Amino acid sequence: MTQDWLEAARERVRVFAQYDRAFDERTDVVVVGSGPCGAVSAYELAAAGHDVILLEEGPPFTVRDFELDGNLSMTRTMREGGLRMTRGTMMPTMQAIALGGGSLVNSAICVRPPDAVFDRWATGFDLERTDRAQLDPHFDAISKFLSIAPTPDAVQGRRNLLFRDACDAMGVSSEPIERNVKGCRGSGECFTGCRSRAKQSMDVSYIPAALRAGARVFTSVQVQQIRHSGRRVTGVSGQVVAPFSGGSGRGRSHRFRIEAKAVVLAAGCTATPILLKHSDNLANASGQVGENLQFHPGAAIAGVFSEAVDPQFGATQGYQSLAFLDEGFKLETLWAPPSLLAVRIPGFGLELKAHLAELSHVAIWDAFASCNRSYGTVRARRGTMDPRIHWTFHPEDVSILVRALWVLAELFFAAGARKILPGVHGLAPEMHSLDEARPLQRERVRASDLVCGGNHTFSSTRMHGDPRHGVVGEDGRCHDLDNLYIADTGIMPRSPAVNPMLTCMALAHRLAPHVAEQL
Amino acid sequence: MITGFLLIALLIVVYRRTVSSYPPAAQGLAVLHRGEACFIESAAEVMFPGGAGLSVAGVDARLPHYIDRHLSALPRLKRIQIRALFAVFEHLTLIFPGDEPGGRRRFSKLSAASRVSVLERLEKHSNLLVRLLFMALRAVLVLGYLGHPANLHDLGVAPFEIELGVSDAELLFPRIGGLVSSIGFELSDRTDPQQLGPLDANGPRHRAYARSSRDSR
Repeated sequence: MTQDWLEAARERVRVFAQYDRAFDERTDVVVVGSGPCGAVSAYELAAAGHDVILLEEGPPFTVRDFELDGNLSMTRTMREGGLRMTRGTMMPTMQAIALGGGSLVNSAICVRPPDAVFDRWATGFDLERTDRAQLDPHFDAISKFLSIAPTPDAVQGRRNLLFRDACDAMGVSSEPIERNVKGCRGSGECFTGCRSRAKQSMDVSYIPAALRAGARVFTSVQVQQIRHSGRRVTGVSGQVVAPFSGGSGRGRSHRFRIEAKAVVLAAGCTATPILLKHSDNLANASGQVGENLQFHPGAAIAGVFSEAVDPQFGATQGYQSLAFLDEGFKLETLWAPPSLLAVRIPGFGLELKAHLAELSHVAIWDAFASCNRSYGTVRARRGTMDPRIHWTFHPEDVSILVRALWVLAELFFAAGARKILPGVHGLAPEMHSLDEARPLQRERVRASDLVCGGNHTFSSTRMHGDPRHGVVGEDGRCHDLDNLYIADTGIMPRSPAVNPMLTCMALAHRLAPHVAEQL
Repeated sequence: MITGFLLIALLIVVYRRTVSSYPPAAQGLAVLHRGEACFIESAAEVMFPGGAGLSVAGVDARLPHYIDRHLSALPRLKRIQIRALFAVFEHLTLIFPGDEPGGRRRFSKLSAASRVSVLERLEKHSNLLVRLLFMALRAVLVLGYLGHPANLHDLGVAPFEIELGVSDAELLFPRIGGLVSSIGFELSDRTDPQQLGPLDANGPRHRAYARSSRDSR
């Protein structure tokens, strides 16, 4: 990379402070959303020689913009200040608003789903070209670009290695998590932004590459409408929004309009349906836009050990077990900003402080469930681009997650934990042995008894071979339109059973040549 | 006439309960009014009493200032929701009175023992909505309490002191609010974390956290 390149690339970047009037642009492809799927799409299309504009509603964060405080960081990087909740079964769910999208503040987990996932997709959704073998070249390309590799032992830290040892002791398979990270130092702060810039989030990887290939990147712009005529879209329009304005109309200033030969929507599983609905209910002949919403609800157990665990050190999520995917759940290690973790510690007063005082002896392991019986919807809210998310946790899926908590309890005691804090209402707040944890097996636990987080979202604009039942086909193109594509987790027909980032990037990688063919 | 008299009497009661006799708020609050700040301090006092291994007690953790900063950064609707939560708790004593004569006074006017008993009942209440209210309040307070750098440092979970990286993002994008022309980095500034190696688990923690911990002693 040369200084000339850098100067030229900077000229193709627009940030909030630069917008002083309304503007119009014209391009080959406009990509809406700069998260993993949008960034891959933008790069692949720009690298193929097409004129590309990548739009992002949030601002770019440099390392000096990161907040060390977990709560304040979340307020700045997440939609609705990190306080978005589902209705129905109430559960917090987070979607990022920043250049690079969720990759800026996730723990960089890259997992390829097992064959069985694609088999279910193929048979249930009339898909012929979406199997593991045909996606592997796309997985490989992404993996190579992002240097995806297993987390090395040197940065696992004790809390991750305890999980490995527990799995070994119980004869459960486990493996270091593969991540898009180069030179992890083990600072345990993936969720607030990697200060050493080891994490290959989109803003340090695919987006600079797209700029290098000639793409333009406009930040702080909220797309509010997809312009269309007949079976073709003609571009997008919207408004400039100030950073941290909530993205819901406050702080709005200049309008913009971009004409394009093709539009790729990668705004995310909860934003893309809203955009389609705001655009005259576009691409919705099937009636599936905003339907079929799935989550990976996750719950965690804190284990307290006699020896110090020093949990701040180590990869945020370094170890996992895929041994229970057939049962419908995945196990992982977890660390997050302590203030966010402490929110789920029980009690108050001296009891709460006593729990807090044990934090340096705590390891936290979590489970998330595939939840293939639990569905929801994404609906537009009046006067805002924020969604109203409704989702109901099916009792059988609740049972799967509770079963996962029981396995975690077994693992903690196999690792020598002194006690666990299961975080399940109605059960003892502390359990000192596996016998004390038995109620996790015996008692009927309801969704409202669990402290869940709504990780990963899918299927709100699902892919289906039959246009009557899905929004997009296998090439990511909307069935109803000739040049509108969707490239985010919304197109997954159902849960991929594992963390979705790599899969959605592979699907975006596969989509790019199809978009190019239309130009 | 009687209706008017009753209305005036009602307004006086509401005024006395919601506005009057709050102490002046601390300096530097942009969003919170003095009643909210008073409520937060009274809740923090019983949520995080002194002792139990942490050098800073709830009343000394500057929670109103932290929460004020948090609220300032939130979208309007969320800010309203959190402020409504404070208002609900301040007056929930009308339904869940404290264990003392005059227990229906506002929460922040109750004795510490009464405030504890109110919170205990809310925490263990059979109604999910009541429990959720309690959990929401506790969450806001815990975030503020552990937002105090000295507490995280004392707990041994403060962020590490590390060299800030310079990646392509720092070369291409300005700090938030700045112009592209304000970018101060050049190609030669770029860093490679692969050259630095893993941190020492017992290595130094971020200087702001260490300093705050020393200052609070």
